[in-house]
Amino acid sequence: MLACLCTVLWHLPAVPALNRTGDPGPGPSIQKTYDLTRYLEHQLRSLAGTYLNYLGPPFNEPDFNPPRLSAEALPSATVDFNVWRSLNDHLRLAQNYQAYSHLLCYLRGLDRHAATAELRRSLAHFCTSLQGLLGSIAGVMAALGYPLPPQGAEPSWAPRPPHSDFLQKMDDFWLLKELQTWLWRSAKDFNRLKKKMQPSAAAVTLRLEAAASDL
Amino acid sequence: MLALWTWIVQALFIFLIVDSVGGGLLKPCGHIVPESPVVAPNTTFTAICVLDEECLSEHHLNANQILWKIKDTYVPKEQYTILNKTAASVTLEDVSSLGSPLTCNILLYGQLEQNIYGIQIRVGWAPEKPKNLSCIVNGQSNMKCQWDPGKETHLDTTYVLKSEWPTRQLTDCIPPPNVNNSCTVDMVVVYVNMDVWVVATNVLGNVSSDRINFDPIDIVQLLPPYNVTVSSSKAISSILKVSWTNPVDKPFEGLKYNIRYRTKDASDWTLIPPEDTASTRDSFTVQYLKPFTEYVFSIRCMNREGRGFWSNWSAESSGVTYEAKPSNAPSFWYSIDPSQGHGYRLLHLKWKTLPRSEANGRILHYEVILRGGKTSNFSKSINDTKLILNITNDPYVVSLKAHNIVGSSDPSTLTIPGRDFKAAHPITNLKAFPKDNELWVQWTPPNEPVNKYILEWCVFSDNLPCTPDWQQEGSATKLTYLRGNLMESKCYLITVIPVYDDGPGSPRSVKAYLKQAPPSRGPFVRTKKVGKNEAVLVWEHLPVDDQNGFIRNYTIFYRTSSGNETAVHVNSSHTEYTLSPLTSDTLYMVRMAAYTDEGGKDGPEFTFTTPKFAQGEIEAIVVPVCLAFLLTTLLGVLLCFNKLDLIKKHIWPNVPDPSKSHIAQWSPHTPTRHNLHPKDQMYPEGNFTDTDVSVVEIEANEKKPLPEDLKSLDLFKKEKITTEGHSSGIGGSSCMSSSRPSISSNDESESGQNTSSTVQYSTVVHSGYRHQLPSVQVFSRSESTQPLLDSEERPEDLQIVENGGSGDGASPRQQYFKQNCNQDEISPDLSHFERSKQVSSANEEDFVRLKQQQMSDQRSQSSGSGPMKDFEDVSAADNFGSSTEGQIQRFETIGLEAATEEGMPKSYLPQTVRQGGYVPQ
Repeated sequence: MLACLCTVLWHLPAVPALNRTGDPGPGPSIQKTYDLTRYLEHQLRSLAGTYLNYLGPPFNEPDFNPPRLSAEALPSATVDFNVWRSLNDHLRLAQNYQAYSHLLCYLRGLDRHAATAELRRSLAHFCTSLQGLLGSIAGVMAALGYPLPPQGAEPSWAPRPPHSDFLQKMDDFWLLKELQTWLWRSAKDFNRLKKKMQPSAAAVTLRLEAAASDL
Repeated sequence: MLALWTWIVQALFIFLIVDSVGGGLLKPCGHIVPESPVVAPNTTFTAICVLDEECLSEHHLNANQILWKIKDTYVPKEQYTILNKTAASVTLEDVSSLGSPLTCNILLYGQLEQNIYGIQIRVGWAPEKPKNLSCIVNGQSNMKCQWDPGKETHLDTTYVLKSEWPTRQLTDCIPPPNVNNSCTVDMVVVYVNMDVWVVATNVLGNVSSDRINFDPIDIVQLLPPYNVTVSSSKAISSILKVSWTNPVDKPFEGLKYNIRYRTKDASDWTLIPPEDTASTRDSFTVQYLKPFTEYVFSIRCMNREGRGFWSNWSAESSGVTYEAKPSNAPSFWYSIDPSQGHGYRLLHLKWKTLPRSEANGRILHYEVILRGGKTSNFSKSINDTKLILNITNDPYVVSLKAHNIVGSSDPSTLTIPGRDFKAAHPITNLKAFPKDNELWVQWTPPNEPVNKYILEWCVFSDNLPCTPDWQQEGSATKLTYLRGNLMESKCYLITVIPVYDDGPGSPRSVKAYLKQAPPSRGPFVRTKKVGKNEAVLVWEHLPVDDQNGFIRNYTIFYRTSSGNETAVHVNSSHTEYTLSPLTSDTLYMVRMAAYTDEGGKDGPEFTFTTPKFAQGEIEAIVVPVCLAFLLTTLLGVLLCFNKLDLIKKHIWPNVPDPSKSHIAQWSPHTPTRHNLHPKDQMYPEGNFTDTDVSVVEIEANEKKPLPEDLKSLDLFKKEKITTEGHSSGIGGSSCMSSSRPSISSNDESESGQNTSSTVQYSTVVHSGYRHQLPSVQVFSRSESTQPLLDSEERPEDLQIVENGGSGDGASPRQQYFKQNCNQDEISPDLSHFERSKQVSSANEEDFVRLKQQQMSDQRSQSSGSGPMKDFEDVSAADNFGSSTEGQIQRFETIGLEAATEEGMPKSYLPQTVRQGGYVPQ
């Protein structure tokens, strides 16, 4: 544990927020990223509402909760609480980054189905915003000195083998649902990070966090 | 400034005919490099004309034969450079100031000029660096950026709005055609910082603006809230609820608002404290509003955290607060018309409608309650603002309430005092003055507590009756302005009445103008008296309607026809002024101007001439001169009289007329004839020579009864008239005077006889007259011849005297005359008319006097009872010296007096002398 604490302390100089006085550090960009996730949540709510209505019943029913069948490819935001707590900032940011990268690709595929111009415009704007989020996460990671996760093979939206329209809609439904979950999770992550990065309190939090994680 | 032009890209290919004989190919003989240049102004431009080798050899041409032309103007040869045999260049200093096209020509043999090639030069600028780039995000995703593109390039220039995130380049925004200063990005993402800049590009180069970096969330301007509605509450009349719909297209949830409102007529807005509206909401209740008032609302919103900009104000929406009971009692006043008999009088109650701000709703009716007098309580509900009541002379108390749908106002109470009430306790120091286009009234309150003040005012005019307007002021008021439509340059009579518990106090009045103006006309000045060196000018004050202000002073301008004008200032209270010193015998023009505070107005010009002499000056000269003349004349006349005998003797020596000698008649046979009555006319004209005899006879006749002889009555009449004629007081002969002269003439003749004739006659006469001795028988013919001469001399003298002014019939008249004179006081009963006739024939000199007398008589007749009575009166006056017919009597008395005083006998004599003087002629 002591070693761990030492490691954290050793890493402290690497945290730009703590040793730079003139530079605002990653704090503002973290805040911005947090605000953006909240805005995307807000944006998605209206988009999802419109889109699910477009899909029609039962997808637009509030208590519709279908099994997740063919959406395995989607990165799941659901994670065990302890596992989530055990993640460090870097991992968390990396997971966010990867998830949104994939989701963005799937989202672009959604555009094909959208019938109305208004919906297409909303989707396009959401995509652009999501792209902005990706950039923000990358910015935060860069500010904190973390390397970006390897992009690997970009899961391009290959036209799937034609299956039933309902299943297609089910995929769309799960995509939106997954996006929503990820935005919740991200908001939580960035809020946590934001609090952590606040000056003076940040070090204490960091130490306690480290201790807690060691425990 | 350069003349700017863009030349269309167009190369001119002008061909030189290579082989005119063969009539074959048309082929360019050369070209210009560069072919379509774009040149910036104020730069040097060089063009090269390259000739074709074939042409050169065929036509034996050379590059030094090249001529450059711009339009039709040759370029000076100094600017040419022969590069080699086939090429020549030209250098132009400032192409923008020259023209286009630029042509390369060649001079053939025989001075024949041929065009080889031509180019168009375009002039334009490289783009300037765009400045003042700014962006604004409308709603959620649209971002409009604007910039200043700088000066016109005159070339095709493209502007591109570029943007990028830190991690990636974003799509360029290209403005629509013909827009070079703005572009709208439609997919902007908030909470991500971005760089934005503009790149401008044309053929002369490209340039980028400065980059701006921002988070679009900080430049968001939302659309304003919409569907703004305002609703009132019946329960609370001072509130209004404003509701609206928030804009949907926004990149955040939290909003804050500004709500502003104003009354409908006002122009200033009231802002609800922003801290009250700093959270997201869709309605707000505004408090502390006035009842029954229309308010207008509008709202704007922005990010609750203050990022970005306020939206525009929403569309205005209005609502009316609910009614409340009137907050004030109406202004209330009265007037009394006392002209009702039997202990009654007319009470005119009047009140003002409440202003909207005090009525707090629609006034439905007014309630008037009258207490006092015989009727214990009188109540009436009316819609009008006046009420006429017939009340007794007792004191009353009247109260007034205004009612609207919610309730009634507090009562406004007036005490109407009894008929015998004496008003007292006036206000003091009442002043009225205009200020800020209002007429202000100021006063000092009385010592007694005042309930309120009433101000009454009306136009003070000579032509219009005073129809007062009025207003009510509170008890604390000392200064207020008249709330009414006041006219300029009208005199207002303002009355302030304090109102006490027991009734109104004594009124005090003041006159004032809202705005004065010069008078409508000037005063009419005229002279009251013009003297030699001064003139008294008078004028009347202008009527109020012409004054247009308070007359502060007058100015009198006067001048002679040639001289300068002189001005005299006169106090406004005067209506008379004495101009002095003036020059005598001069025409003066005078006019007068009246001045108010705002200026003056001239009246009409009045001219007058000063006299040459002062008043009385002429008289002072003329009267003494006349007097002196008169005196001289009088002295002369007196002198003449004094020396009359001398003169007479000198002029007319006494020559006795023997033919008229009476010595023959004095025989004792003839005495009876002498006793005949004068009317017998026994004496032929000129025969009557002895007056002494006739005098004696008359004396004898006096003793006889009067009525015997009508002629004698006539004579009396004549004599009387003559007397009356003398009553005019003007000198001349009269009966009285003539009778005396006749005596005097006798005296004269006596004296004449005494001095120049025998004593015999005079002795006879005197003895006959004085001793009443009819001693005719005593007479005896004298044997002496000496007296004969004397007697012959005498009758002539007498005749002259007696004839008077009438040439014929002198003797009989003379007799009558004398009888009349003697009978003067005996026979007054003679007709007026006859007298007049007699007189007119008797003495023409008296004719004028007769006329006067007739006039007087006519007057007397008109007032009196008749001619006879008149005459009696006159005669009575004559006799007793007391007058009943005042005027005539007076005249008579004066005449008598004059006759006595002036010694008429003397004055008569010269007449006879004079008249007699004519007789011989």
